[in-house]
Amino acid sequence: MKQTKYQTFIGLEVHIHLITESKVFCGCRNVFGSEPNTNVCPVCMGYPGVLPSLNEEAVKKAYQVAMALNCHLNEKAVFERKNYFYPDMPKNYQISQFEYPFGINGYFDLELTDGSTRKIRIHDVHLEEDAGKMIHEGSHSKLDYNRAGTPLLEIVTEPDLVSGEEAEAFVQQFRQMVRYLGVTDGNMEEGSLRCDANVSINEQGKGLGTKTECKNLNSSRFIKKALEYEIKRQAKVLNSGEKIIQETRLWDESVARTSSMRTKESSNDYRYFPEPDLPPYRPKADFLEMVKSSIVELPGIRKKRIKEEYGLNDQQAVFITGEKEMADFFENTVLLNSKDSSSTSKEFAATAASWLSGNVQKILNDSCLGISESCLSPERLFAVLKLIENNTISAGTGKKVLAMVFEKNEEPGDLVDKLGLAQVSDTGEIEKIVSEIVDANPKVVDAIREGADKQIGFLMGQVMKATSGKANPGLAQKLIRKKILK
Amino acid sequence: MQGKDMAGNGINSSDSSSVTNGGWSKVLSENKASYLEYVDGWEKKIGSFLEYDIERIRSASCREGALAGIPFGVKDNFAVEGFNITCGSKILEGVASPYTATSVAKLQKAGAVVVGKTNLDAFGMGSSTDNSAFKVTNNPWDLTRVAGGSSGGSAAAVAAGLVPFALGSDTGGSVRQPASFCGVYGLKPTYGVVSRYGLTAYASSLDVVGVLSRTVDTARTVFNTMKGRDILDNTSVSHPGSANNGDVKKIAVLKVSDGILSKEVELSYAKSKNRLLSLGFELIDIELTSLEYVVPVYYTIATAEASANLARFNGLRYGYQSPEGKDPGELMQASRDEGFCDEVKLRILLGTYVLRSGFQDQYYLKAQKIRTAIRNEFNTIFESADLVMMPVFPTPAFKHGSAELDTFQQKVADLYTCTANLTGLPALAVPSSVEENGLPVGVQFTAPAFEEDRLFNVAGVLEAGFPSPTVPGIKDWSKF
Amino acid sequence: MKLDELYVTAKLAKLDLNEGEAEKLAVEVSRMLEYFSVMEKVDVEGLEATVQTLSRENVCRPDVVTSRDVSAKMLDNAPKRDDRFIIIPNVL
Repeated sequence: MKQTKYQTFIGLEVHIHLITESKVFCGCRNVFGSEPNTNVCPVCMGYPGVLPSLNEEAVKKAYQVAMALNCHLNEKAVFERKNYFYPDMPKNYQISQFEYPFGINGYFDLELTDGSTRKIRIHDVHLEEDAGKMIHEGSHSKLDYNRAGTPLLEIVTEPDLVSGEEAEAFVQQFRQMVRYLGVTDGNMEEGSLRCDANVSINEQGKGLGTKTECKNLNSSRFIKKALEYEIKRQAKVLNSGEKIIQETRLWDESVARTSSMRTKESSNDYRYFPEPDLPPYRPKADFLEMVKSSIVELPGIRKKRIKEEYGLNDQQAVFITGEKEMADFFENTVLLNSKDSSSTSKEFAATAASWLSGNVQKILNDSCLGISESCLSPERLFAVLKLIENNTISAGTGKKVLAMVFEKNEEPGDLVDKLGLAQVSDTGEIEKIVSEIVDANPKVVDAIREGADKQIGFLMGQVMKATSGKANPGLAQKLIRKKILK
Repeated sequence: MQGKDMAGNGINSSDSSSVTNGGWSKVLSENKASYLEYVDGWEKKIGSFLEYDIERIRSASCREGALAGIPFGVKDNFAVEGFNITCGSKILEGVASPYTATSVAKLQKAGAVVVGKTNLDAFGMGSSTDNSAFKVTNNPWDLTRVAGGSSGGSAAAVAAGLVPFALGSDTGGSVRQPASFCGVYGLKPTYGVVSRYGLTAYASSLDVVGVLSRTVDTARTVFNTMKGRDILDNTSVSHPGSANNGDVKKIAVLKVSDGILSKEVELSYAKSKNRLLSLGFELIDIELTSLEYVVPVYYTIATAEASANLARFNGLRYGYQSPEGKDPGELMQASRDEGFCDEVKLRILLGTYVLRSGFQDQYYLKAQKIRTAIRNEFNTIFESADLVMMPVFPTPAFKHGSAELDTFQQKVADLYTCTANLTGLPALAVPSSVEENGLPVGVQFTAPAFEEDRLFNVAGVLEAGFPSPTVPGIKDWSKF
Repeated sequence: MKLDELYVTAKLAKLDLNEGEAEKLAVEVSRMLEYFSVMEKVDVEGLEATVQTLSRENVCRPDVVTSRDVSAKMLDNAPKRDDRFIIIPNVL
């Protein structure tokens, strides 16, 4: 194993925008994309005399994440004021948590590429409010406070990640987890998941080096690229005998490098002190029980279970459990099969998985919908697969039926009946047609008898044509062979 | 609730209030013309209102209600929709309030009408009201003197009989001290009992909504209307009521060494003691060992919280914006420097300093711990007394300008009032007497948490037995 | 308090002090800080800081949209605006 000169230490600060009806400290709507300054009130605009009022759903979701990350939950969580000035800040202090956040000292089981897992330590999980948005336009900046006061959960890791690739994997897996929990939609393009990275390198065994903070990492891909660049840059600096300057650096995708963000705000004394307007939060046993029971099966665990229970291969398991909706859809479909005993669970599961990752996913991609937004349901998929299984329709027809279900929002059975899509599986009927085709194509038949097996395909095509595609392909093949290779 | 004091005198604490029965509900209707003339005449002399308009938001008040038609003033650091909210500072000049404070809304729901916003020291910072950017308020008893601060406008308006009550805010004595200077009642309720939503924060853990009034009954009625938990203020609580029916038998009286109080205040203090004895109360002398530290502790905590609370005023979203400033940072700095007066800047700087990394332990954290010691001391005293009696301020109203008491000395003089804010306890300034120099002096009672009834009881008994003098030339509209 | 300490503090407080102002304020701040130093005498062993005036805990509100729309009134107060945006000189 190649021993590199430097050890890398990467810690991430991930912010997720929580899904709630109202903002964290006021009753304004918590939605993305409204007309500027419409989801605002005196509280989130920082008017004189206003006070924050804590949203219980934000608290619940914060604890769900803290528990899912195996954090120690502070007996008493305290809100604090983080004081600094910026135009997008309504109060010029941010209500956050500092000394006593909701959760501390947790861990995340990161799945590595070789299939093993490693615990990435979580320093803390804390709740805070977001600032407004600034849009820069020439000589002016435009302020929109719709986003101000929306609930943000910040998750800080210890510097346990060792490469850009690992950091990317962490963000992807973490995003998957919080989407499973339903606490955020984790959309990096829309900004509902944001990530800053702290990275340092040092000679092996010497501990942490001087770190730089990397910002503007708007996708997990950028995270990998930026960190790889930054690690290389730091190595170059150290190799030339210089020291790393502790600073904030911005990733610029257009030139693929980080550059120093020398602003006046860079060394800030935030003067944290406990928020006098918000009483501390002391989670009670029944509350914690309620939160614990509301935590769904996490993706890593679910993937493992589904793989074992249904005998799926790695690739299938990864796809199926990629999003919770898909995993739910899959398991609900397979559940319908357990009531019907005509095929083993594992066989059916494999078929269902294959259809979901193939035919179904294609339809969803083409229409830009998620599975729970489409009119496909586990019942409908199950119906299609059963129709194929009991030879009512061929697999090819089944694919077409699926597309029609999606398009017309009708039941598969109804469509098959209405459009007469049932395949012909009557042996006698097909035999008759096969005879006709065989008689009509003596040269092909001879060729087949001499070993040109592929020509069966041509005869198959003819049979299909003669039956308007309704002949049961398996049966047709069988009968053709029987007829020819007697 | 009827009762008798120790000497057998009847205590009148009936349900009917002196403010609701009588002439005050007619001044905005039948007696409007003469009332407005009266207000105008006084305002030219005392200048208690920054904005005054009896019709402006009348529709915001209910036609029926226990306080229907009663006019009241509101200190200009409260949000009242329909009026501006300047907080007495240039940085908020012309800012129209888009909402109404909960405390005010509750009074409007009971029918009371906000007729104007009263003058104050900017952001509640001061003991004279001379720190207002807009006008000077004069004490109705002596126009060359201050009305006190920071709720000087409210105190002056009530003392001159322009309104039966006015709202003020009390962070370190800002309702009680002007009440004492103007010869009216000044109530500081228990922290949290009246919602702070809509009151511009000065020091969040010390601020309360207070009432200035000419009768005990009025203060009680207004307080009872406003109190109650508010979901918009997470520090608010519902009032559990008095634990002992508001009974008072024993009062702990602070022993004040010679030379601390001015001679008028000393005399007045002694008078109050004698009156209480004559009414049958038991008095015991106490000393407060923590008194030496209350002012430094108060100012450390208050300025720290204020430095954060005033950070939002930067000229970007509302209020005064400097014409200077090429970038937002410069713009904010210039707006704040030009918009804030010196006293406000001083407190912001102090507060920022005591929170700075490296200094926080020594100042802010230390002060918060000493604060606990002060609370403990009061709790101990209340184990063997029902109320604590103290002076309000070492002097009567001082003259405008710093000749008599400079701003530093004014701060040091907060020692008797800021204890109630540090401990969160309720306190009432009661007009005690008018001394030889023609200036009123008040006396202060502090009760355990949620025991406002004890304050009203004792004040009521004193009021009945020893009616306090009123400003010469005043008209009592309640009698019309 | 030394003048440069004051300037650092003023910067944190986003106050742009001119020289005369700074000198005057430095004197006043120093006086107050000296007055505060009496706190050093107090032994606070075993005392918890009073962080909350009342000992309330766990105060929350239900997650419902309640605000009424006063955005127009608030935007009217803005010193400079561009339709529904509040504008300021460019940050960069």
